[in-house]
Amino acid sequence: MKFDTVIIGGGLAGLSCGIRLAEAGRRCAIVSQGQSAIHFSSGSFDLLGQLPDGTPVEDPAEGIAALEKCAPEHPYARIGAQACERYAEAARKLLCEAGIPVSGSPRRNHYRITPLGMAKPTWLTIDGYLTTPSPEVLPFRSVCIVNVEGFLDFYPEFIAEAFRRHGVSCRFASVNSPDLENIRRNPSEMRSANIARVFDHEQNLDRLAARIREAARECEAVILPAIIGINRSDAFEVLKAKVDLPLYLLPTLPPSIPGIKAQQALQHRFRALGGEYFLGDSVLSAEVEKNRVKSIRTVNHGDIPFEAEAFVLASGSFFSRGLIATPDRIVEPVFGADTDFVPNRTEWYTEHFFDRHNYEAFGIRTDRSLKLLKEGSVMENLYGIGAGLSGFHPVQEGCGAGVSLISALFVADRILNSLKS
Amino acid sequence: MNNTYDVIIIGGGATGAGIARDCSLRGIKALLLERSDISTGATGRNHGLLHSGARYAVTDHESAQECIRENMILRRIAAHCVEETDGLFITLPEDSLEYQSVFVEACRKAGIRADVIDPEEAIRLEPSVNRTLIGAVRVPDGAIDPFRLTSSNILDAKTHGAEIHTYTEVTELLREQNRIIGVKAYNHHTKEEERYYAQVVINAGGIWGHGIAAKAGITVNMLPAKGALLIFGHRVNHMVLNRCRKPADADILVPGDTISLIGTTSSKVPFDQVDNMVVTPDEVDLLLREGEKLSPQLAQTRILRAYAGVRPLVASDDDPSGRTVSRGIVLLDHATRDGIEGFITITGGKLMTYRLMAEWATDLVCKKLSIDKKCQTAEIPLPGSAESREEVDKKLHGKPVVQRRSTIARHGALAVEIEGNDSYKNSLVCECEEVSIGEIEYAMEHLAVNNLVDLRRRTRVGMGTCQGELCACRAAGLMGRKDPVCARKAKADLANFLNERWKGMAPIAWGDTLRESEYTTWIYEGVCGLSDQEVITEKTAAK
Repeated sequence: MKFDTVIIGGGLAGLSCGIRLAEAGRRCAIVSQGQSAIHFSSGSFDLLGQLPDGTPVEDPAEGIAALEKCAPEHPYARIGAQACERYAEAARKLLCEAGIPVSGSPRRNHYRITPLGMAKPTWLTIDGYLTTPSPEVLPFRSVCIVNVEGFLDFYPEFIAEAFRRHGVSCRFASVNSPDLENIRRNPSEMRSANIARVFDHEQNLDRLAARIREAARECEAVILPAIIGINRSDAFEVLKAKVDLPLYLLPTLPPSIPGIKAQQALQHRFRALGGEYFLGDSVLSAEVEKNRVKSIRTVNHGDIPFEAEAFVLASGSFFSRGLIATPDRIVEPVFGADTDFVPNRTEWYTEHFFDRHNYEAFGIRTDRSLKLLKEGSVMENLYGIGAGLSGFHPVQEGCGAGVSLISALFVADRILNSLKS
Repeated sequence: MNNTYDVIIIGGGATGAGIARDCSLRGIKALLLERSDISTGATGRNHGLLHSGARYAVTDHESAQECIRENMILRRIAAHCVEETDGLFITLPEDSLEYQSVFVEACRKAGIRADVIDPEEAIRLEPSVNRTLIGAVRVPDGAIDPFRLTSSNILDAKTHGAEIHTYTEVTELLREQNRIIGVKAYNHHTKEEERYYAQVVINAGGIWGHGIAAKAGITVNMLPAKGALLIFGHRVNHMVLNRCRKPADADILVPGDTISLIGTTSSKVPFDQVDNMVVTPDEVDLLLREGEKLSPQLAQTRILRAYAGVRPLVASDDDPSGRTVSRGIVLLDHATRDGIEGFITITGGKLMTYRLMAEWATDLVCKKLSIDKKCQTAEIPLPGSAESREEVDKKLHGKPVVQRRSTIARHGALAVEIEGNDSYKNSLVCECEEVSIGEIEYAMEHLAVNNLVDLRRRTRVGMGTCQGELCACRAAGLMGRKDPVCARKAKADLANFLNERWKGMAPIAWGDTLRESEYTTWIYEGVCGLSDQEVITEKTAAK
């Protein structure tokens, strides 16, 4: 099989890169194992929430400019502050065009509310999710927090505890439905995706709306866990119309409905643009000649190699097995590419879970144009994007989604430019 | 508040809990004070091995005899804490077969059944065993759950009138001339100092007993010996595997519930480090290297956690390894030893002999109080072990099979106390360990659970392969339901739980463990926004 570009990894980075290339008319394939970090999405996309030294960031574009000095190995710093801002805007458009309606600006963070009621700075949030311009101010003085009876992955009490600190009065309501009883019969099935399927049905939405109207009578707003509209995309709008009160969603523990929906939307967009998405396949080996990748072979396509002009490694970090940690080193399993890490394992982490651990910044080594290296030599047509890159702390710095999106668009541009020349 | 008792027991390990039970069964009014939760010292940090005594047969005849006697007693009185797996002592090509005959003879002398079987038979019985073995002896080893065991002793003690105060730390022994008349203790929850009085104070503080005795100006020469262990992510072996050679590092592999455990190392540690046991990379490497000799499969098995306990050995010589010190029980009457009345120390021994240690200590208390009552703890089953698993299973007929199986395994006959007649109570909080809402509510109400780590010890929530990834948050949610104070505490508690788990994961954080840690970080710090600021540092030392 011949393509212009083959992308390994179908998460946020791989799909965004593929969409950008397909939009430019390139023949693109994505090989995806199927599991990616987007499945745990909070409903928001972070760009930069904190500098490496812990300084909070209000203006991500300004923060990225600061990274050029204080963290020159950070992917943002290597891409450059101005380019990052440009790609950030392009990323927002890409998400919206894929049917993920997001709002936010790279010049000013807003705050998303977590399933525990904490406020975290973020860049883009999907419409319908609760956000605030500052962590202390909520858009209501009284709220009714609704949960599904027996759903353990959402925490009204924790949310209320945080809200009450800001003077918001909270009340609770729980909802049930005969259809939920069917799920409940299997004791491990009361999870977000199964519940969301129940609320795809009109009569269950009706019942939910009636219960909310009754419980939230004296409240200014209503909060619901993100269990609405997994297959039916208008479910939230329909519910809002029925409730007739400001209605906000908050994320739940995984599986994340906004994550699943975002993944589906991006996949759909990529395919609609003519991209080929090979789901449930993984790379077995690569044929490399004089620092150029000629082809890769996968589990499902045995003898038929994937050939391309350019290859993009978007296989993620440890979770999705884009990186493998052995007791003494970090391995990139597809190409055996060079990685950045500290050899002594005791320096990989501290004994406190919430510390900034060195291992989080380990990853594939790349040059300024994000081309991979192998045994010190640059691989001419192999680029790295997303969580597998080295040099950043996605969670502490609040930049995981941003690095995925921006590195993806940056590399897409590199590939398009190199094909032009 | 009536603060006068017949005895005060310091320490909520298996021994202290056993004494509380023994005393209360003999009508002695007992108060147990524990600075943290029950079974947090050496009790909860060992193999969970129901020793047959075979391991000590060659080197320590007396300990071996005590072990096999207690082994048989525990099978009766603590059936729900015991798994009758039997064990193999295997000889590898690098070991000497001559030792096997010495070993078998010593076992028989101590009254331990020891059957020599041929290597093929050993492989058939235990397919995970190293297939290069040249000899095997089958002995009545087994697995025992120390958390359950201690918890049942506590439950029974309470039923018979004992008072149990956890998170209450003894800061001072109250003394009148040459008599200890009580203790001053700091309650970590109320942050208040309390005084309790008794005719006899029993020091059952394990390695911390050294410091407790010191409060009376008494020196008990203990030798803190650290033992590190690794927990594997699934049950590799079904029988206990030992090396048939002189006891050495990492030569016991014990199955327990859903996991297997390899241990231990042995190294002397200073007293100021006993609260800060960190497993080093060298210890991890040694445990893996030696463990793979027992069962080569360990090389491909995920490690869940590394942890270390401190053996409360009483120093009899200056052997730096702490291995040749007797595992024997040490009961000190400080009246005769040091001229201080009303104070005794029970130490040495091991988990296997906790009941006998309790019996000895309680006998001495009876003598001091002129009470003529016989010990009954060897005959009366513990709560949870009064009925057979089959009988309990029949009573729980209506419950889903998963919850029935796991609650009976964890709580024995007490599983009937757990609500589970509706689908809500049967919902699973922890899927790896099959812990339901009903079981968590039962533990919170009846088993003195103060936080998520306590809950883990009572129910195994968060102990499975995911190491509390999502179930920790779910359990915290349940604990935070009562009121706003609970919600705030539960969030802090969740942060503490994750910190505590990480301590056990950091020494082995590569491969899948690092993968899970990355995921946990994404979920808790990323999606949930939990941070360090939520962590409450429970001070273990009262100022």
